[in-house]
Amino acid sequence: MDMVKAAKELLLQDRVDIFLGYHKLDGHQIPHGFTKARVADLDQLEISLNRYPLEKIACDLAQKDPTLKIGILARDCSQRALNLLYTWDQLNPENIETLTVNCCPSSLSTHGDCSYLKPKTTGEYKKAHGIDYNDSPKDFMAEHDSQDRLSRWMYEFQKCIKCYGCRNVCPVCFCKECSLEHPNLVEPGVLPAEVPIFHLIRATHMAGRCIDCGLCEDACPAHIPLRMLYREVNDAVSDIFGYVPGDHIEKSPFSIIGKTVELTPAPMDV
Amino acid sequence: MTLKRIAFVQELLKFMGLEGRLHLEWISSAEAQKYVDVVTKFTEKIRNMGPNPLRAINEMKKAG
Amino acid sequence: MDCEFVPSVCSYCGTGCGVLFEVIDGRINRTLPLKSHPVNQGKLCIKGWNLHEYINSYMRLKGPLVRENGRLEKATWDEAVNQAARRFTRIKEEHGPDSIGVLVSAKITNEENYLAQKLTRAVIGTNNVDHCARL
Repeated sequence: MDMVKAAKELLLQDRVDIFLGYHKLDGHQIPHGFTKARVADLDQLEISLNRYPLEKIACDLAQKDPTLKIGILARDCSQRALNLLYTWDQLNPENIETLTVNCCPSSLSTHGDCSYLKPKTTGEYKKAHGIDYNDSPKDFMAEHDSQDRLSRWMYEFQKCIKCYGCRNVCPVCFCKECSLEHPNLVEPGVLPAEVPIFHLIRATHMAGRCIDCGLCEDACPAHIPLRMLYREVNDAVSDIFGYVPGDHIEKSPFSIIGKTVELTPAPMDV
Repeated sequence: MTLKRIAFVQELLKFMGLEGRLHLEWISSAEAQKYVDVVTKFTEKIRNMGPNPLRAINEMKKAG
Repeated sequence: MDCEFVPSVCSYCGTGCGVLFEVIDGRINRTLPLKSHPVNQGKLCIKGWNLHEYINSYMRLKGPLVRENGRLEKATWDEAVNQAARRFTRIKEEHGPDSIGVLVSAKITNEENYLAQKLTRAVIGTNNVDHCARL
């Protein structure tokens, strides 16, 4: 297989120290870090039907060793996530090699439902469970008036069990301190989570960040249509700021750390 | 930048069904009359819209 | 650097969600839900998401401690078990077997739970046995 050969070459030519891909263990397709010492393991390299945030794992590795060269099996969403992480200086593009693979080879999996990237379509898993949340935000706006929208979102948000899974699985959530854990913003130890502030904080923080990979919705035990919410956030960001997160490596309009400015010394008025 | 950020939050609130409850205006400390006008107008607008629907929901939740 | 992933089962409650530990250089660094697990289907609750924290906690109890003169002292398993047996026997003789209750856990296996109730009923001689997941 070409993919295996390419990954082997990356490792053998020392272009990467570790290659993040998937393999099968105990019948589960799970991520694995392949190394040069055990290069033969790469024969078991798979494009998993289950997506895991490989970019987040790469960030973990880079935090332990910033000079580590990492190879990643990258779908389209991974590529967008990587671009965003380069933008925010979480990963160094010089240390990352990607092997691009086809996005969602089939309907991705029963759990990782990527099939509704096309608006107005419902994936198999969602069909089987009677979930039909695949409206595009624009249709949702057009079809419901403001009272409808409020009651719908309040209904969705009140299902939240506050597992923080959306944040924990998110490949672009890299902050050391999270506003969702700040006791003055979100009251700790209360269920259901404070609505709608918990979700709106996360939604605003997804502005200019969300790369629409859908992992948050996959991980949500309460089936909250987070992807639609964040897609609306993204639409607003692209309308207002003219910025599409992860499209290519550029400075984000949300970055507050700017260029250094030097003030010319001038005499003070007395 | 502030203008854009507020426009973004307004957009998000609109999507949530809470439009019209956020307003941004530049007023210099010298423009007393403008300040009065803006605040009066916005207060009136908010009053006409009625209480925040989230408050009713949260009170219901507290009551169980 | 070494990075591997170990599928496992969440040890918090009786549901048995599949988790995936991210192990970097022999240390568990992160917990992810096991997406292909039939029980949780790629979802976890807040306890499952933070499994790695108690594994790495410095407060974690790694061996038996016995309280002597008001202080917890490290002990061997033999000492600890003998001490517990001695004290339980004394309590049972002084106050009767119903003065002892046993609370077992969802964190241990079915077989261990069975053994615990057997010990309670047959050895201690009381029906005071309950389980944290008996909702």
